[in-house]
Amino acid sequence: MTSLIEALQKKKKEILFIWIDRTLDSYVSSGFFKKSRDKFANPVGANIREGLSRIFELLIGDKDQKEMVKPLDQVIRIRAVQDFSPAQAVAPILELKWVVKQVFATDKATRPMLSEMDSFDCDVDRLALTAFDMYMNCREQLYKNRVRELKSGRYILTDSACASALIKKNQQEITRLH
Amino acid sequence: MAVVKVDKLARSVAEGPSLMTGSIPTKDWMEMPVVFKPGNYAYTTKPSILEYLDSQPGVSFPNAREWNPEDDDWKLPENWKEIIINGLAERLGKFRSLKIFMDCCVRCGACADKCHFFLGTGDPKNMPVLRAELLRSVYRQEFTLAGKLLGKMAGGREMTVGILKEWFMYAYQCTECRRCSVFCPYGIDTAEITMMLRELLHLVGCGINWAMEPVANSNRTGNHMGLTPQAFKGNVDFLCEDIENLTGVHIEPSFNRKGAEVLFITPSADVFAEPGLFTCMGYLLLFEAIGLDYTWSTYASEGGNFGLFTSNEMMKKLNGKMYAEAKRLGVKWILGGECGHMWRVVHQYMDTMNGPADFLEVPKSPITGTVFDNAASTKMVHISEFTADLIKNGKLKFDKSRNSHVKATFHDSCNPARAMGLLEEPRYILDHVVEDWVEMPENTIREKTFCCGSGTALNTDEIMELRMRSGLPRANAVRYVADKHAVNMLTCVCAIDRATLTTLMNYWNPDVEVCGLSELVANALIIDGEKRQELPEGLRTMVF
Repeated sequence: MTSLIEALQKKKKEILFIWIDRTLDSYVSSGFFKKSRDKFANPVGANIREGLSRIFELLIGDKDQKEMVKPLDQVIRIRAVQDFSPAQAVAPILELKWVVKQVFATDKATRPMLSEMDSFDCDVDRLALTAFDMYMNCREQLYKNRVRELKSGRYILTDSACASALIKKNQQEITRLH
Repeated sequence: MAVVKVDKLARSVAEGPSLMTGSIPTKDWMEMPVVFKPGNYAYTTKPSILEYLDSQPGVSFPNAREWNPEDDDWKLPENWKEIIINGLAERLGKFRSLKIFMDCCVRCGACADKCHFFLGTGDPKNMPVLRAELLRSVYRQEFTLAGKLLGKMAGGREMTVGILKEWFMYAYQCTECRRCSVFCPYGIDTAEITMMLRELLHLVGCGINWAMEPVANSNRTGNHMGLTPQAFKGNVDFLCEDIENLTGVHIEPSFNRKGAEVLFITPSADVFAEPGLFTCMGYLLLFEAIGLDYTWSTYASEGGNFGLFTSNEMMKKLNGKMYAEAKRLGVKWILGGECGHMWRVVHQYMDTMNGPADFLEVPKSPITGTVFDNAASTKMVHISEFTADLIKNGKLKFDKSRNSHVKATFHDSCNPARAMGLLEEPRYILDHVVEDWVEMPENTIREKTFCCGSGTALNTDEIMELRMRSGLPRANAVRYVADKHAVNMLTCVCAIDRATLTTLMNYWNPDVEVCGLSELVANALIIDGEKRQELPEGLRTMVF
């Protein structure tokens, strides 16, 4: 009897195809995102394809959470600035569970695995929670950048001295205080 | 004429869409209404700004009011539809290019996947062909026989408030970067279609504050930020103090000096905001090193021209100010700094709007004797052309090791690259001032460069997410060279780039900084009599 990992490896191609396809379906006009393999002409499609593929490989290989960070970021950082709700942005990760079950259910050889999915499901859940943390980090970064831009523009609108002069003034204050 | 291809381009092949990922059952693209929500639109023009502009001679900006795109009622004039259709008729008569662009598109789709907004959003209305179709469908309905007779069957659409809202959404999801035009077999300048959409929207008082306030400020004090002459001069003086502290070079630039040989104009952002400040210090050091007889103007204190993003009359007026000042000061020619869209205005519109500038001389470098015939009509030379010529003639000495902290790549700023063909000069300069730099992938540079995602007055914080997703294609290429070659500096020749790429990099590639080319020039430049400190970060080094 094959193990769950072996079954996942065997069905890797099929699972990835459906998983990537469904994730890219979340864009209104997804034809090009799915078709073009040029990483630079099609950054959303290519990064999501690469990120999800790597995540799946790591899930069925040696699961080092640290290695997950890069591919997960590759997917989530993009979705965090697109027109999705927070749930929609991280949903593709959870969808993997559904995709795997769909694929396993269609093959007699893998159907028995459906009752042994608990640990895999847990891994995916954990990954989804990490994805949510990442999503929040991205959003916070956006807000910080907003504030930074606002601050850097303020000098001008008030006709006060330039940034360079203010930095100098601050430094003089600091030196004086020491 | 049926528009089958357009439908095909827009249709997602999604079947059995997932509720979780937000897959949307696809309707016909023309029937999907736009939804305004915080983050997907820029704030509307303040009534006081619009009232001021409307009071100015030569331009018209009616219907000043408080309004919110999220509201159903946009407080349009009662006869708004008539105003729009008449406005379109007037422009079709006035601009032959618009008429041709409306008629000649065959919906081949070559442009469809070339727009950074489409690539970042997957929204079909961000395909240039469909963005143009938003206007073209109304044109067909009102101005073609087939459209008048067959309406929707001929790809026509009745002008409605819903369509006007669609225009407002998508005319401000285009940075007029013209990447799509590079791929159009008919040479349709899609940016000009966006320009027309924006002009038409202004006829009924629909514009964004981030465009109109800089326009009003430029009209009033000469620069986007409304800096007074005193503040403008004060800022440049502060930069000179910084330069003296860093390099021991004492600079006393002149302002509004009549009889100077050259008038220097750069975006005002270079004078007040990081990282443009360092670019500005670069100009000052370069001019000092070669002893250029030049002056700043505190009235033509802005290279940028947000009129380009507003209306052709406004663009003409703001551009005219630079030439009026050149005439008043009696200079021979104009040297322009590292600005983006200023160069599109100068190269593509100035000559027919305000030119030829016969009262000026064909620019001739006083240092090398090179005559810039390419600027024979506009009389305006780009700082990179000027610097590259100085290098070619051996007039500058460099110590590249002073830029050893920099591993650079070069972002072709859209307008200098595509609107004036400035491709080789910046690269030639980089070869001489840094030890090492690398190109980004071929389909993301030169004429095919990807926009920063925040041009045409979209560099405002309320649409940060939109900017980050439309900037993804650029950032994605930068990430590649950062990962592969440890690139840590994104060089460019545009002030909007310097400001917005900084934020873009912070989000996508936090280890990459942004600089203007002239900053790297000045870092490496050896100047007689200088007492340069050890500057591990060049002009950015903080000296206590």
